[in-house]
Amino acid sequence: MKTYGSEPGAPSPEQVQVGISEFVVSGDSTTLKSYGLGSCLAVALYDDEAAVGGLAHVMLPSGDEANGQARNPGKFADTAIRAMLRRMVEEGATYTDVEAKIAGGSDMFEFESFGEGVGDRNVEAARQELEKLGVPLVGEDVGGEKGRTVEFDPTTGLFRITIADDDVDGEGVTEL
Amino acid sequence: MRLDTHALGTFHEMAREGAGIAAGRLTGLAEVETRVGITKLNFVRGEEIHSELARGGEKVGVRAELSGGIQGHSMVVFDLDSARRVLETLLGDEFEDADPGEFDDMSRSAMEEVGQIINSGFVDGWADVLETAIDMTAPEFVEGTDPGPFLEGLNAAPDEEDMAIMFRSHIEAVGTEVAFTHYLFPDHENFAALLDRLRESEGIAYDKLVGFDRLAQRGAEEVADNITTMTGFETSIELRRLNFVPMSAIPQELGNERLIAVAFEFEGTPSGYLVFTFDRESAETVVEGMLPTPPEDPFGEMGQSAVEELSNIMASGFLDGWANVLDTNIDHTPPEYSQDMGSAVMDPIVLQFGDSQEFAFVFDTHVKAADREFDVEIFAIPDEEDLERALSELDVDRIEDEPIEAEFPIEET
Repeated sequence: MKTYGSEPGAPSPEQVQVGISEFVVSGDSTTLKSYGLGSCLAVALYDDEAAVGGLAHVMLPSGDEANGQARNPGKFADTAIRAMLRRMVEEGATYTDVEAKIAGGSDMFEFESFGEGVGDRNVEAARQELEKLGVPLVGEDVGGEKGRTVEFDPTTGLFRITIADDDVDGEGVTEL
Repeated sequence: MRLDTHALGTFHEMAREGAGIAAGRLTGLAEVETRVGITKLNFVRGEEIHSELARGGEKVGVRAELSGGIQGHSMVVFDLDSARRVLETLLGDEFEDADPGEFDDMSRSAMEEVGQIINSGFVDGWADVLETAIDMTAPEFVEGTDPGPFLEGLNAAPDEEDMAIMFRSHIEAVGTEVAFTHYLFPDHENFAALLDRLRESEGIAYDKLVGFDRLAQRGAEEVADNITTMTGFETSIELRRLNFVPMSAIPQELGNERLIAVAFEFEGTPSGYLVFTFDRESAETVVEGMLPTPPEDPFGEMGQSAVEELSNIMASGFLDGWANVLDTNIDHTPPEYSQDMGSAVMDPIVLQFGDSQEFAFVFDTHVKAADREFDVEIFAIPDEEDLERALSELDVDRIEDEPIEAEFPIEET
């Protein structure tokens, strides 16, 4: 987790960066932001009735298949989704009202050793885990060869994706 | 004295924990939101620390001596602008009346207080991680434009030829652009004992760290010479540093800026990835330098292949430099070009290491042209086990005799 001032009286930030292998759950309108996603995947979960949501910036598909996932659930698509969902319910979200949006999972390079894109594997792992948990995936902007920056309002579920794009005068923006 | 990645991982945890506590206390004191930036363990020659303290004009620092679990000195250094911003925030109107050119008693004591809060935050964090007690003396205010006052009287400060392990942390005050560097200079014997306690494997001898430095040096020199040969630019090595960082921090370091990246995979002892990054202006300069008639769009197909070609030659030079030092063979793939956000370019590479490696040694090199807009950053991320093996087999006496100057002509792969 990114360390913010945790001493009493610290002002609350308007924007929180969610770095690689981290996830943040919030019940206020602080914008959660992950920048420069390449093959990494941003998973946003929210319950807009309860105004609670979370954003994860996952790096790898499956913690269940890896060692030591207990130490850092935010690193993997499957463990991050479960951990974030649990935290959201603790914060007042209703499990059955939670919806999901995902972005990222590009393949920036074509090295032979990369094999089947790790970006694709992240996307597929997230889809499977969401389906297993019965969380509807209501929007996605995934794959391709471009990096993405995402901004997420955890209370409303508004998910804004920016890519660097010469064709549209510098930047292309998608809202989900 | 020997070290391994477990011991280094513990040091990293100490630095991160310390930075977190320091940031929290600073937030409480100054009522500005602070954020812990990237925390790194650096392996550097003393001369690098000297030249770092000599750069960037007037600086102020606060240092304290440590005893107990860690012996040595802890020091935080601000550039003058950052120090002023801290004081403005803390003292408000009172500071504005003071002479901005020098530090009066009030400013000094305010800086001492801030410095000591940061030092003690770090020290408390380390003590937590090491489950020990560390005592600290009263703070000492230092200022100057050269390393002299900062390193004066520090037994543990490295001489120019010594290899040092250094903690480098940044805490940023959000919106107010305050950054500083934190140094820990541990006493040699005490540090050796600590390393032995933390070590879980045979690891490598501390003396072999000079091999790291030689790798970084040879790679950088080859690249600088290649650029000059190919483009005619006079180049210099601006920075040459070996970092030990968590995998997930590597993309973050490249930030959100759009850049041109050319990546290679290399195989041999060691194997890993090599990435050259250029800002857009530098890429344009490359295209102009490489092609007799530069194309209208420097980022089009012709421009791209010019940047790829230069990168390919730099990659060969860099890896030949390594292979010479290590007495091995290292091959590399053809270039892969990308124009995108820095961290997006780097994360697929970090992902390739999967879950097998938590930390990486990153060779971070910055080559600059003297007379025009041209900077290239080089990131080499070797596989940890390969690197450890290569260094273990390294004959330190032999590399001491290796000529430092790069050899020509370079070999094409």
